[in-house]
Amino acid sequence: MNTEKNKRSYKAQKVIDRMGQKLTRQMVGSLTACVHCGMCTDSCHYVLANPGDPTFAPAYKADKIRKLFKQHYDWTGKVFPKWVKAGSVYTDEELQELKDIVFGKCTNCRRCTVNCPMGVDLATFNRMARGLLCHVGIMPEGVEYVAKEQWEIGNQMGVLKEDYIETVEWQEEELQSEMEDPTAKIPIDKPDSNIVYVINPREIKHDPRSILDAAKIFYAAGEDYTMPSEGWDMTNFGLFNGDDELGGAVAGRVYDKVEELRGKKLVISECGHGYRSTRCEGPNWAKKDITFDAESSVITMLEYIKQGKIKVDKTKNPGSYTFHDSCNNARSCGLTEEPRELLSLVVEDFREMYPNRAENYCCTGGGGAMSMAEYRPSRLKSAKIKADQLAATGTKTVVTSCHNCVDGLTDLIGHYKLGMDVTQLVNLVANALVIDDIVEENKKKYAEKEEVSSGSAQ
Amino acid sequence: MSNLLHFSEHALQEVALILMATVYFLRIRWFMKWPLGKERQPATGLGDTNPKKGARYSLANIAMPWAMESTRSKPFMYAQFVVFHLGVVAAITLSFIIPYGPGLLKSSSLVALIQGLTGTACIVGFMRIIRRISNPYIRAISSPDDHFSLILLTSWFAFAFLAAPNDISGGEGFMLTYFLLTAFFLMYVPFSKISHYLYYPFTRTYLGRSFGRRGVFPIRRKPAYQRSI
Repeated sequence: MNTEKNKRSYKAQKVIDRMGQKLTRQMVGSLTACVHCGMCTDSCHYVLANPGDPTFAPAYKADKIRKLFKQHYDWTGKVFPKWVKAGSVYTDEELQELKDIVFGKCTNCRRCTVNCPMGVDLATFNRMARGLLCHVGIMPEGVEYVAKEQWEIGNQMGVLKEDYIETVEWQEEELQSEMEDPTAKIPIDKPDSNIVYVINPREIKHDPRSILDAAKIFYAAGEDYTMPSEGWDMTNFGLFNGDDELGGAVAGRVYDKVEELRGKKLVISECGHGYRSTRCEGPNWAKKDITFDAESSVITMLEYIKQGKIKVDKTKNPGSYTFHDSCNNARSCGLTEEPRELLSLVVEDFREMYPNRAENYCCTGGGGAMSMAEYRPSRLKSAKIKADQLAATGTKTVVTSCHNCVDGLTDLIGHYKLGMDVTQLVNLVANALVIDDIVEENKKKYAEKEEVSSGSAQ
Repeated sequence: MSNLLHFSEHALQEVALILMATVYFLRIRWFMKWPLGKERQPATGLGDTNPKKGARYSLANIAMPWAMESTRSKPFMYAQFVVFHLGVVAAITLSFIIPYGPGLLKSSSLVALIQGLTGTACIVGFMRIIRRISNPYIRAISSPDDHFSLILLTSWFAFAFLAAPNDISGGEGFMLTYFLLTAFFLMYVPFSKISHYLYYPFTRTYLGRSFGRRGVFPIRRKPAYQRSI
């Protein structure tokens, strides 16, 4: 055994040792139960886009992780290693090869999971393998960079607190202007609010319109809400790099802030992995039972319409729309019906794409793939499946509830020249808002006030 | 009946069964020692499902070829799966009928049923061997155990088919081979991938509980009821 250990690089040995600490019974079941039936093969968009190449098959990729488990933790592999294809890793080069599989050939979309007759959950142990590699510093550069930002600055895009507040204040001014209400606010750190609204840093950096749109909806609904000054990033690279500690720390920051502000409900803006991380996995990683309600902003917006808190006019969103289910929302959180119901309330022409819901194909930018520049050519090649699926809908706009999918879809739409737009529900709901009467009333109210104040000044 | 055949039908099978049960017990004990990952998250989804419902759906998946795209789009593969596993049930049942209830095999329809099931399973086994060798995807993931298990089962079906009439007037060869293969099968299974059925209830239950809690199982493919507010 010592000889065996001596042959192995320091990092390879660390990976083997740590695997034993990360395995759960669910994972061991998945690692043991595969019968190599191959039923998962056609479920993977990488396979479909690379016909004839078995190295993309989910079971093949899984076996690259499974062989380590069999060799070191399953006694059949210890006794008959070659018979059951058990094997080990010895060099850092072999770890690099494993990195290219777990990061570069799988988006952890879980489509193979829902298609496996045995219930093998490849995505879960693929994530574990990512975590083992990250622990010894073997990961795509982009993943390393983003994870570092999230550890050190508190959000995945390295947005400084000053920039965050400045952007929110800028959107507040826009809100005041659009609503003709100089007192309209996007509150920050307001204690005892009904809602604490957390967002994706992409909204600060690249899409502040989404913040304004959400603010308009909250304003129209008369909602008592706040955005936190810290712990506002609901995204979580711990989901992508398999680092439970990072996952727990990031989710914990959000939970702590909601508790500090005594918020009644945490509302998570549209983001598949953010919703999954904050709503579903975060309590597991942080080992914390959350004491407040948490929901997707999709549900919040839908409730506003159904409760009559906001009015919408679907004719304001002309054109044809289809809906792309984020893998994390659909296959890991069951969020499939609410976005459809909401979409059908704010657009006139909604056309389903096929397959859909939990059977939908990944946008191909999932699992952190958008941050892994080295795999972009392979990602875009695999995106052919999604491109064909989008084109078949014959629509002009694809709607999704995920910032990551927005980027992934935008990239592939450009690459395959589909000429489609990508938008989110928050943008469509805000655009469909019937707020002319509110704006008119505000205009009158503040014009009168101005008259009174100018009169009293004279 | 020769002493060898009697030994193969009784003592050898009993020893093999005890060995199999012992290894299964050890395997389950090993499996249960791994820590169960805890789900702390509040339930998600529309609220029309829960961990129990998810687990039931997940376990029943085996009998619902329409539930998964992988089986829905390949009905012939699913039919093969059914035939193959019914063949296993028939061949196992036969290994108990011959030593402990041979009178039952006086019924020609029972013999025909067992032969029908094991015979078709044998054909499916051959088809699966060809697929495992010729399909590049399946070949790439196959281990020696996968090949051997499949060849073993296919041969076993063939000898079960021949042994089903329980007639040794023409010689004990088929019967003896069938029981020797059965004994070997019983001892080999716990170490091979054939023991997947041992894990099936666990993997499917764990996945079903998690997906039930998260509103994913049962999978929806058409508009569900609307959230009531």
